[in-house]
Order: sequence, then C-alpha cells, then structure tokens
Amino acid sequence: MPTAIKRAFPHFILFIYVGVILLPFVFIIFSSLKESNIEIAENPFGFPVELVFENYVEAWVKAKINVYFFNSLYLSFSSAIVGVILAAATAFAVTRMKFAGASKWIYQFVLVGMLIPGNVLFIAQYLLVNKLGILNTHWALFLPCTAGALPISVLLIAAFMKAIPSELEEAAIVDGLGSIGLFARIILPITMPALVTVFIINFLGVWNEYLLANFFISKDSLRTLPTGMVGFRDAFQTNYALICAGIIYSVIPVLILYAFLQEKIIDGITAGGVKG
Amino acid sequence: MKSTLRNPTVYMLFILPTIMLYFLFFIYPMLSSVYYGFTDWNGLDDTSFVGFDNFVKAFSDANFINSIKNNIYFILFSVFIQVPLIIFFAILIGGVKRFQGLYKTTVFMPSLISTAVIGILWGFIYEPEVGLLNNFLSLFGVETIYWLADPNWALLAVLITNAWQWMGFFIILILAAILAIPKEMNEAADIDGTTGFQRAVYITVPLIKPIISVVIMLSIAGAMKVIDIVLVMTNGGPIGSTEVMASYMVTKAIRYSEYGYGTSLSIIIFAFALVLTAIYQLVFVRNQERVEY
Repeated sequence: MPTAIKRAFPHFILFIYVGVILLPFVFIIFSSLKESNIEIAENPFGFPVELVFENYVEAWVKAKINVYFFNSLYLSFSSAIVGVILAAATAFAVTRMKFAGASKWIYQFVLVGMLIPGNVLFIAQYLLVNKLGILNTHWALFLPCTAGALPISVLLIAAFMKAIPSELEEAAIVDGLGSIGLFARIILPITMPALVTVFIINFLGVWNEYLLANFFISKDSLRTLPTGMVGFRDAFQTNYALICAGIIYSVIPVLILYAFLQEKIIDGITAGGVKG
Repeated sequence: MKSTLRNPTVYMLFILPTIMLYFLFFIYPMLSSVYYGFTDWNGLDDTSFVGFDNFVKAFSDANFINSIKNNIYFILFSVFIQVPLIIFFAILIGGVKRFQGLYKTTVFMPSLISTAVIGILWGFIYEPEVGLLNNFLSLFGVETIYWLADPNWALLAVLITNAWQWMGFFIILILAAILAIPKEMNEAADIDGTTGFQRAVYITVPLIKPIISVVIMLSIAGAMKVIDIVLVMTNGGPIGSTEVMASYMVTKAIRYSEYGYGTSLSIIIFAFALVLTAIYQLVFVRNQERVEY
C-alpha cells in the first residue's frame, strides 16, 4: 500500500465518524429553518429554500422555551455554586483542620455516597420530597441535585487541597488570619482550578437532569429545559421545524461553554465519570 | 499557632451543612428504601410488613423479567459492540497528528448534551416519514421502517442512540491513556518494522488494559442504570420491548403508586449492580498485573 493512502486511511474512517456525530446537528439546523414538514420531507438533506427565522421566535415565546431556559439556568447555577461552597468548606475542614480522627470518619461517610447509583434512591427521594411538602417546587430539584453532587465534589476538592503545602497556611496564620480568613483568602484562590472543574460537573449535571425534573415538577412554569422540551415535543408533535428550533436553543448554551472551556470540561467530566 | 486550625466551632460550621444535606437526601432515603422494600405501602392504605413477598413477586413478574432481559441487551451491546469500536477509534485518533484536536472535540460533544434532548433529536431522525434515516435508507430502496413503533426495531434504535451519545466519552478516556504511552515504545516498534495493526494489537492494547477494564466497568454500570433515554424515546414501549428495570420501577411507583413494590425493585437493581461489579472485579481485575512502562 502506498504511504499516502496508508496515511489517509485513518482520516477517512474518522471523517465518517465525525459525519455521524455532526450530521444530525446539521439536519436539525436546516430543519429548524424550513417552513413546514412538507419541505423537510421533500428535501431532508438540502439547504432550506427560504430561511424561516420565525420558528425561533415562535419557539421562544409560544413554546415557553424562554421560561424553561431561565429555570434551567438559575437552578443549575445556584445548585452548582452552593455545591462548590459546601464541598469546599467540608474539604477544607477535613484536609486542613486538626481534627484527624473525626475527619477520617466524615470523609469516608461522605464517599460512601458514590457507591449508590442515583436512580436507586429515586422512589425514597420522591416520598421524602413529598413529605417535606416541596413537591412541585424548585426545592425538589435543587436539594437532591446539590446533595447528589456532594460526594464527588468533596473527593475532587479534597484531593486538591491535600496537596497544598502547610508552610503557606502557617505563614498566613502568623500574619494573623483566622481559619475562616485562611479558607476564604488563601486556600480557596489556590484551589480555584478544582473548584472550576467541580462547578462545571455540577452545572452540567443539573442542566441535563431529567428523571427528577420529570417526576418532581409537573407545573409547566417551573419546568426545566429537558422536561420542558419533552413536553413541548409531545404538544407540537407534528411541527418538526418548531421542535428543531427548540433543540437548538437547548444545545447552544452548552456548546458555547464547550467552545471556551473545552479542556476543562473534558477533564472535569472524565474525572467525574471515572470516580463517580 | 496551630490553635487557629483547631477551632471546633468553625469545624462544625464547615462540616454540618454538607453532612445534613447529605444525610437527608442520601442516607435517609437509603435507609427508608430498605424499610419500604419490605412493606406493601401504596400511599393510601395502612402499611403492613410483608417480609420477602415483594422480592418473590418481582422474580415471577413477567414484565420485570422482561426488563431485566433488556438491561442485559444493553450490557451486551455496550461490552461487545461499543467497547471494541471505542478502542478502535481511540487508537485511530491516537495515531494521527493532523486534525487530532478536531476529532477529540467532535467525538466528545454528544456526551455533553442532555439525554432528553438527544432522545428528541433521534426521535426526529427515526421519524418514519420525514426523518433522516428512512430518507437515507430509501436511497437504497429500503422500505419505510417504523423504528420506534415496531417492537422488532425499537430496542435497537434506542441502543444506537445511547451508543451515539456515550461512545465519545469513553474514546476520550482511552485516548488519554494511549497518548500517555512513552514515545520510545512506538519508535522501537517502528524500527522493528511493525505494521499499524501489529502495533495496536501487541503494544497499544496490552499497555492500556487497565483503562479498558475501567471502561468496561463503567459501561456495565451505565447499562444497569439506563433510564432517561428510554423514558424520552419510547417510555418502555412498544409493548414493553424497550422497558428496562429502572423505567419499570419508576412506572410502578409513580403511575401505579406501588411504592413498596417499586422500592423493592430498586433494591434488586442495587443488588444486581453490586454483584456484577464484584464478579467483574474477581474475574478480570484480580488476574491483571499492573502495567509498567
């Protein structure tokens, strides 16, 4: 086999794979700009005859994608922030404070959570949420999601904090910082890379969460993007152009994030996936 | 000086919120699951303790057995079809210099997107009349296939979607291991005049065995807990052909309010996962010597 062909062969195979990944997206983008199902059916692979941007306007307002979008955004953001703060505080206490005996137990206790697959607890969590009277509120999503992310968050942040040299904190203490000041002004800034990773994992976790969102929240105005999109599909089953515009809305923010933080996201998700 | 880090009030302040939240939404549900699993609670009537009745019922429940069978299909498909493909693509990407970044970026992308959205997207691709797939197949004269409505095709359709979503994630995992192989290894192989295929089989794969083992483990775990994609694409239908254990459990509990029975199903799922992990660890991981470069 000539070298040129030999060199090109892997690229040939990989381009097919890339095509299989990207083609559905291209199909969705084209379909979202087409006028009707008829146009999609007649010319599924082709460029739209005329760009119909009204689909986007209609999906955003009529299908209440805007409501779902902001629900998802603020829930993901607040849950990720609170999760990072709680996990960082706990990781700090466990790794840097001088309560070795208690810390060892607490750390193990929290890590046990990683053994339990999330949906095994689904029914018990449903009953609990119901009992607490927060079914059909955003708390029903916020609390279990934040709690569910804690074990892996504590693990990742603690691993990072363990590696910080103690000379640094000794110097800070000599300079008169208390333990809270030490945590907030010295340790947290140093731990920033791990905090960002954990934030991304948690954010995407809530952004993509479906099971709990589907069964814990049935009020339409409280729905998040994944469940809202499914409801939207079921309601507009016949209008594919509109559904495609909705899909684009829910995918774009994640892809923008991905474009800027690609390495960080890949590292974070693979770390979360392997250990979690 | 050290007393700053011995302040018990601060310690409690830093630990307690996490522990409380974790206890309430993790430990308590775990304990209450064990309790409910042995009762016949249906949300209305008095609850009574029924011993192992729920578990006996589960293993004579034809629908549940059917869902176990579908989970096994998920496991077999990921271990015997996805994993070899994952290794193949990872080796290909690891071997090229140009476009490597592009391949990495694209391949990983689907694992970022919500399963619900992927389910909707592929539901549209599988659409019999306007969907991409049938339109493509019709170029070769294939007749209309009702992918998600035909019991013969529905499970395969869901399996393919699931593979499309997750393969890239695992490819990246394996690729990281491949790129960590010291260059000298490949240079030595080049001098010995190996072909690409020989190098893959005799050098790369043996060196990345530990990560392959992790990928198989994660695939099995993923196949055991699969649910979102099924709920969104088929809701377990048509006639139970895509029902998996988790979706059956959720349906029983939420739609039929059989909380006691549903919880016992979740305990069975958990037990299966533990047993599979243990078997896998015993059979494969123990026999594996550590790889050193």
